Amino acid sequence: MGRRTPLTPYQDLLNRAIEAAHPYSASLELTYTCNLACRYCYNPVQRKNQPRRAPPPPPPGPPLSFEEYVDLLDQMKEMGVLYLTFTGGEALLHPRFWDLAAEARKRAFALRIFTNGVAVTEGTARRLRELAPFCIEMSLHGADARTAEALTQVPGSFDRQMEALRHLRSQGLRVYLKVVVTRLVEDQLQRIRDLGERFGYPVYFDPVLTVSDDGDPYPLELMASDEAIASLYREEGLQIGNSPFEREGGEYNCTVGTGTFHVTPYGDVQPCTQWKQAVGNVRKARLKEIWETSPLLQEVRKVNRAVPVEIQRTVEDHAYCFSCPGLSRLTTGDPLRVDDQYLRVARIRRRVAEEENGRGPVNRVAIRRETVTRP
Amino acid sequence: MVEQTVHRRNPDVSWRVIEGQAVLVFNIEGEVQVLNEVGTYIWEHLEEEDVDTLAGNIARTFAVSEEEARRDLLAFLQELRKSGALL
Repeated sequence: MGRRTPLTPYQDLLNRAIEAAHPYSASLELTYTCNLACRYCYNPVQRKNQPRRAPPPPPPGPPLSFEEYVDLLDQMKEMGVLYLTFTGGEALLHPRFWDLAAEARKRAFALRIFTNGVAVTEGTARRLRELAPFCIEMSLHGADARTAEALTQVPGSFDRQMEALRHLRSQGLRVYLKVVVTRLVEDQLQRIRDLGERFGYPVYFDPVLTVSDDGDPYPLELMASDEAIASLYREEGLQIGNSPFEREGGEYNCTVGTGTFHVTPYGDVQPCTQWKQAVGNVRKARLKEIWETSPLLQEVRKVNRAVPVEIQRTVEDHAYCFSCPGLSRLTTGDPLRVDDQYLRVARIRRRVAEEENGRGPVNRVAIRRETVTRP
Repeated sequence: MVEQTVHRRNPDVSWRVIEGQAVLVFNIEGEVQVLNEVGTYIWEHLEEEDVDTLAGNIARTFAVSEEEARRDLLAFLQELRKSGALL
């Protein structure tokens, strides 16, 4: 996909950071505990109310302690991490969530908090406001309780999410809503966007489902129809992607292992949330040492650089194709091979573009505002 | 009052130096600001050095006159304060 607009100084800087393997972002998966039981949940530990082919994997040890997290925050600050995501499970359910968040803000991280919102009360929203996070990213599961709760399997969760949105709105917090497009919601996309608009929040629609971390493909049973995916690209005003912070330009496919890393509740360091392979553990080595010397990470960086070339070489609809090497690794065993879901999305995008007389790849909406100050 | 002895960064502004350039994230406003080399130097040192020391160090480090360094420094501090980056 060619560069559509000139890069801003900020985007250019992030690309230089990736070239230099500067980890400007990181995510901490604080807990696997969750208060929902989503049918597409990719976490084999927390999978609830669903048939299992294998028992959940036992925990590899005790989860990281508060003190270990504080030490990690110091290490990440030293390494130059700016954007820090607290995720889960449900991050807010970590018993020391507020203490950890305060420690992160003390160290001047730009904090992103992923939540399903179910635990967000008026008091929670007020505390979040005091914390001054960069943003809250909240999952939505449908435009009404019946649809959403068919997915979350928790009665009342939709109403609690709506309450949460009211509280977050009243505190003036910046919220991005995220929806995985499944067959359960495929006829509600405009309604979900309208729901977001009622609260003044943008909605991001992700057409790709994630298989379970243990490779079990059961979430794919919820895959949306071709027509629903096409409608994402056909209809005006729907924003597409799994994050509002898409990087633009550069030689690398994404930030995996080059601009970002992920830490599990047990201290395993992964190249990103989706690349489920430990490249080290923070209980056995300092983060910087893992980042700079892990042979696996070196391999990941090579893969990350090779993916765009591989897409160009092997995918007929390459102008419309993205790839997630972490997902490919899980589903095909080869991070360089484009996963079937991304091939499907590329095929559909091409068809839509052709129908619309050369409209071309749909631009993702950039939300960043930026200024450059020169003394 | 930019002439005060030292300055204080706004804790609602997150920041790091990335590839030699300070990136300021204004958490409340949702904006990002990228500083150039001189701006980064000032941002990193403004809580420890007073205006005179900063101006002298800028003049030496970036090969400009002290007068020019001081003028630009004061303007930049004013700009940072106006943008909400400083308390």
